[in-house]
Amino acid sequence: MRNRYARNRYAIALLVVTALLAASCGGGADVAASCDGEIPDGSTVEVWMHEGSEFTALEEAMQSFNSTRGADLGLTVEITSIPEGQYTDQIKAAAAADDLPDVIEFDGPTMANFAWAGSILAMDDCISDDVRDNLLPSLIEQGTYADQLWGIGTFDSGLGLWAWRSALEEVGARIPTGAGDAWTADEFEQVLGDLKAAGYEFPLDVKPWYGSQGEWFAYAFAPMIWSGGGSLIDRDGYDSADGALNGQETVDVLTRFQGWVSDGLIDMQAADDSNFLEKRSPISWVGHWMYSAYKDAAGDDLVLLPLPDFGEGTRTGMGSWAWAIANGATDGDAAMEVIEYMVSDDVVLSVTEANGAVPGTKSAIAKSPIHADGGELELYVSQLEGAPDIAMPRALTPAYPTLTQTFTATLDDIMQGKDVQTALDEAVATIDADIEANEGYPEP
Amino acid sequence: MTAPSSTGERTGRRRKQGRPSNDSDTRVAWAFSAPALILLGAFIVLPFLLAFYLSFTNQRLISPLPTRFVGLDNYADTLSSTAFWKGFFNNVWFVAVVVPVQTAFALWLAILVNRKIPGRVFFRTVFFMPVVTVMAAAAVIWTLLFNANGLVNAVMETVTFGAFSPDWLNSTLWALPAMMIVGIWQGVGFQMVILLAALQDVPDVLYEAASIDGASRWEQFMNVTLPGIRNGLIFVITVTTILAFRLFDQVWIMPRVPGGPLDSTRTMMLELVETGFGAQAIGRGAAIAVVFFVIVLALTLIQRRFIREEGEVT
Repeated sequence: MRNRYARNRYAIALLVVTALLAASCGGGADVAASCDGEIPDGSTVEVWMHEGSEFTALEEAMQSFNSTRGADLGLTVEITSIPEGQYTDQIKAAAAADDLPDVIEFDGPTMANFAWAGSILAMDDCISDDVRDNLLPSLIEQGTYADQLWGIGTFDSGLGLWAWRSALEEVGARIPTGAGDAWTADEFEQVLGDLKAAGYEFPLDVKPWYGSQGEWFAYAFAPMIWSGGGSLIDRDGYDSADGALNGQETVDVLTRFQGWVSDGLIDMQAADDSNFLEKRSPISWVGHWMYSAYKDAAGDDLVLLPLPDFGEGTRTGMGSWAWAIANGATDGDAAMEVIEYMVSDDVVLSVTEANGAVPGTKSAIAKSPIHADGGELELYVSQLEGAPDIAMPRALTPAYPTLTQTFTATLDDIMQGKDVQTALDEAVATIDADIEANEGYPEP
Repeated sequence: MTAPSSTGERTGRRRKQGRPSNDSDTRVAWAFSAPALILLGAFIVLPFLLAFYLSFTNQRLISPLPTRFVGLDNYADTLSSTAFWKGFFNNVWFVAVVVPVQTAFALWLAILVNRKIPGRVFFRTVFFMPVVTVMAAAAVIWTLLFNANGLVNAVMETVTFGAFSPDWLNSTLWALPAMMIVGIWQGVGFQMVILLAALQDVPDVLYEAASIDGASRWEQFMNVTLPGIRNGLIFVITVTTILAFRLFDQVWIMPRVPGGPLDSTRTMMLELVETGFGAQAIGRGAAIAVVFFVIVLALTLIQRRFIREEGEVT
């Protein structure tokens, strides 16, 4: 008798909770942030940020907002910081619990997924025209989904090859001067071979130890696939990865990459940056964030080169952390004020000085000596200004999280020696299954 | 010596044997167990029932699309997924090695620490300390230790004169053993403490009687110690088996990519997390959770069939 009673109670509790769950999962709320131009006085804007190399600079910027623009408008910013490795997972968890703040940072390519899920709101009605026009075209590109603008960044990323000039001169390698005369893949292999013969046991450093943390594999190695004429997913509609990820061009590029690993050109045991810093691996395939450390180590011997050209011209990655109005925002205008402050020149310059990234606005680039013409990081700017032909955005699809997770695991398998075509076919099956399970990710 | 078990079946059996049930005693028992039972119910039973329900839907983590019932599709996907079966195989392999090795090691440590030698309290603490470390933090350190140029290989090379120093975390053969070592390192202290308590329950009289009868140390161990700690040992084996199936922290953190070189450290829990949270497919993740539960339950019941605690009548 007691058992049956308990079972009934259980069943009812189960039904209630499930009903609540089902209700909370129903349809999307407003897609666009409502901006009426009015800001209620004394509001707090809650911001979540990740702890990256620019965190201190961003924190200082937020505090200066509180004492300058924020004080004028009666707004205060409250920051919550989350470690970088779990940042996106935390956002997903908060989104599932309907517990997002006013403003969040997000890693560029996750934008489409958050927008599709309704976790962030479109900012077309909120952003002012002059801010929008001042932004780098690459930032607008990476932040657009379903013809709406969802996020803008304080900076954009740069990806290329850092090298010790003296090591290259030692083996008589040609030193490219810009994106137009990048090494071809064959030339690149020749240079690596020469360096190895000259005594550098592992001439190329690709940070394999970044591993699954964040976005590294997809960000760093998709460009070489693009350069070879392939892609990770069919970019005309993003319906399927078949023919793209497992297409002949992609297979060729990744087979060549697999060769670099098996020929011992890359130190797969590296667990930190010391290989490049101590000139054991004179070429480093990495992004802008290593600029300060590398500059300190190599000084004037440091040179920035474009990624090798696998057939269709050099390609590079773009997109980095950007700001969005989350669906927990109490007032769209207040959130937008904070975001617009974060793309103002002073903030942009102080942040990019800390992390070596490319300033997100044209006016800031003009004021930054290292990014202006003739500056050390000029290559990054020219690559981004050539978007989407040189710098290409990562796939702008809500399927991106699955795409990157699968690509990372697949690339690791390939580096371990798995047959490239088999590995890619399996990856395509996984990705296509995900797209199908989500009914093709219909646009909101 | 036979510690009274708190399992309901035991109470039930006693009832069947004709012992009169005491109503107010039972009510008091329920009252005292209520907080724990409520918490267990709310945090373990209820989520599991929800997972069971969700496994028949295509629930996603966050999605604007409505959820629908998909019947047994998730189960079909799970049971036909090579990644899942690879995970199952790795789990079984892991358990088959870890349970005997960890139990034997724990028993050995418990016997060592049970002797009246100076410093045993210190060593007891030291052996127990890995248990209280957070596995995730420990795994990060172990990743560095297992680096091909790391401390573990330095020791290995010295001990084997350079013959054996594999590239642990990049080798399909040695990655899972590396996880086993870390798992044993962390779990052995807990089992040691339990076995220590069991050892201390064995009356010294029996040892004296055995040595008077002329039994050697080994014979004493086999005939006095082992039967004496039987219940503690069975508990340790069962719990270690169940916990070993939940292998996750090491395989998430230690290899370059979770699941290790070519899926050699893939486990069922990893599949569950990557499906449910990574790919945001909660329905499929729930199906994996249910299948995982059924597998572990089945194996535990099989184990119970073969190893029974003393005091059971049937």
